[in-house]
Amino acid sequence: MVNNGLPNPPCAVLTADAARSLVDSVDAFLFDCDGVIWKGDKLIEGVPETMELLRKMGKKLVFVTNNSRKSRRQYSKKFRSLGLEVTEEEIFTSSFAAAIYLKLNNFSPEKKVYVVGEDGILEELKLAGFECFGGPEDGKKNIKLEADFYFEHDKSVGAVIVGLDQYFNYYKMQYARICISENPGCLFIATNRDPTGHMTSAQEWPGAGTMVAAVSCSVQKEPIVVGKPSGFLMDFLLKSFNLETSRMCMVGDRLDTDILFGQNTGCKTLLVLSGCTTLSELQDASNNIHPDLYTNSVYDLVGLLQKNYYWDNLHETVVREATNLSLGTCLTITRRAAQHIN
Amino acid sequence: MLQVRASPTFLPSTTSSSSQAPTPFPFSGKSKRRSGLVSAVAAPSANCAVRRSVMAAAGAAPVAAKLEDADALIDSVETFIFDCDGVIWKGDKLIDGVPETLDLLRSKGKRLVFVTNNSTKSRKQYGKKFETLGMSIDEEEIFASSFAAAAYLQSIDFPKDKKVYVIGEEGILKELELAGFQYLGGPTDGDKKIELKPGFYMEHDEDVGAVVVGFDRYFNYYKVQYGTLCIRENPGCLFIATNRDAVTHLTDAQEWAGGGSMVGAILGSTKQEPLVVGKPSTFMMDYLAKKFGITTSQICMVGDRLDTDILFGQNGGCKTLLVLSGVTSLQTLQSPDNSIQPDFYTNQLSDFLTLKAATV
Repeated sequence: MVNNGLPNPPCAVLTADAARSLVDSVDAFLFDCDGVIWKGDKLIEGVPETMELLRKMGKKLVFVTNNSRKSRRQYSKKFRSLGLEVTEEEIFTSSFAAAIYLKLNNFSPEKKVYVVGEDGILEELKLAGFECFGGPEDGKKNIKLEADFYFEHDKSVGAVIVGLDQYFNYYKMQYARICISENPGCLFIATNRDPTGHMTSAQEWPGAGTMVAAVSCSVQKEPIVVGKPSGFLMDFLLKSFNLETSRMCMVGDRLDTDILFGQNTGCKTLLVLSGCTTLSELQDASNNIHPDLYTNSVYDLVGLLQKNYYWDNLHETVVREATNLSLGTCLTITRRAAQHIN
Repeated sequence: MLQVRASPTFLPSTTSSSSQAPTPFPFSGKSKRRSGLVSAVAAPSANCAVRRSVMAAAGAAPVAAKLEDADALIDSVETFIFDCDGVIWKGDKLIDGVPETLDLLRSKGKRLVFVTNNSTKSRKQYGKKFETLGMSIDEEEIFASSFAAAAYLQSIDFPKDKKVYVIGEEGILKELELAGFQYLGGPTDGDKKIELKPGFYMEHDEDVGAVVVGFDRYFNYYKVQYGTLCIRENPGCLFIATNRDAVTHLTDAQEWAGGGSMVGAILGSTKQEPLVVGKPSTFMMDYLAKKFGITTSQICMVGDRLDTDILFGQNGGCKTLLVLSGVTSLQTLQSPDNSIQPDFYTNQLSDFLTLKAATV
């Protein structure tokens, strides 16, 4: 790993020993998706091998993404199209989080939900039994600013959910603003506040943080955030899988969502540099979020684990057969050799 | 390399951790508050300043006094700065008694200046609006935030070979053109669509040295990405906001999402604070004080919004008068959550014609 000449960050680079120690100490790995598993629609190299190895080692794999553009079902489809078998139940999206939030807080079925966002949010809300409107369709609506024009809105809207919306426009902003400001008790929920993301593999694009900030500045209120780094999804996840956070590792590419989410909930944290965070950003003096470990990409786990695995097996099978040395001596020789290589 | 200075911001931050409700201002409703009915002597400027400093020393913000003696206030200053929306007009309707009040002030030899955060029109276009409402106001007396953006770029010698990307309307484009700057964007980018398809890549002009963001009814994802790319990837690119008003009165009937929304969006995607040229930043105050050779203590700022107009006046060291003919109600002014207290408040501008000191 190139150091760029900067001081080492106060978190450790992933080594073979650290990888082994990590894997031995956790039962489950939580993966972010954008920048960890894929970039836009392109799978990141080595991901299938990594997932296969961890599953072979008996680890539970869960996927937690702030990207609200798709539902869990649609994400499961995306995984399959990339050759990975991941069920809906193993995926937790911020779109799903928003619907669950309303359910757990007994959102009245007589109320409606206005969505500044895409199909993923609408689908999850419908699956949860809520009446919702807005979404991509409102991207075609304009406002007419003539003297007598009055902007009407549905007074039965009890919650506005704001997430990533490539069809974002003034109409939606105003609709959201009026509901939050004028419908008594109307909730203002944000799926997440990521400033940018790799919506396509080619470059970074504005994230939900953009739309949320626009609405927040207009209503002068802070939203309830259901996605990372809020621990909301974790509570639901733990109940679903009977896991403990101390036996989990959060793997992500963004410090202020993925790593903070892991830290806030008591997980171990591993930052990968295959997404939006560079080594120099991690090392920068202004950064105060330090994961336990960092590495280039998830695929490093495979190489590092197999290194140890190789040496573990080597002293057992090859060396003992080739020499008459005792097991203990063989173990010492091969471990010293392994350290030298590392 | 152009330096980027952060200017004061007055809106909730957009950090990714969810935050609590804003902490209440230490000066709560428990302390004495004058009701609208208690007669208060309209203190002349010196006394007002003394009262303010005594109260400040006591650890409390002085409360706004109801305007009783308009003449005393008029005599104590030589310039009046007026906000427009909610003070002079509402949408396209003139507020009662405004032309007569302005005539009175001019007859008393007062300089009148109009400072508006509305960036949709240029100074020239505002001049025309005054004209259609029956008032003759010189362009040179009008300072819109669209003009402020261009004036700011002039004041820092923004290179003429650099370009400005505009997320905003005609007013900004016209002022940039008058000031001789090259620009891209504006309303026509409202027709540009993007589709987040695999491999899609947006190019941007590497010569953009400043992104100016103001109210934009044609706001869309294309503009957000274009502005974000310029700010993030063009070295030294400035992020300038005409203003950060949360709401605006585009029509008489109701409130609309203001320029603060568009600025908030770009702040959300870049995580950078903008340089604000409109109220409550004092850029326009410094500009017009220099231009007209006036000291700010000789100015009275008249506005309808606490966190832009009144704060602008206070930041600049002027006297401040809040009118209740716009977005702020008496209840909001007197609420324990409000920490911005103008020197005076009154119902509307035409009160200048009727409020006289009681004769003994």
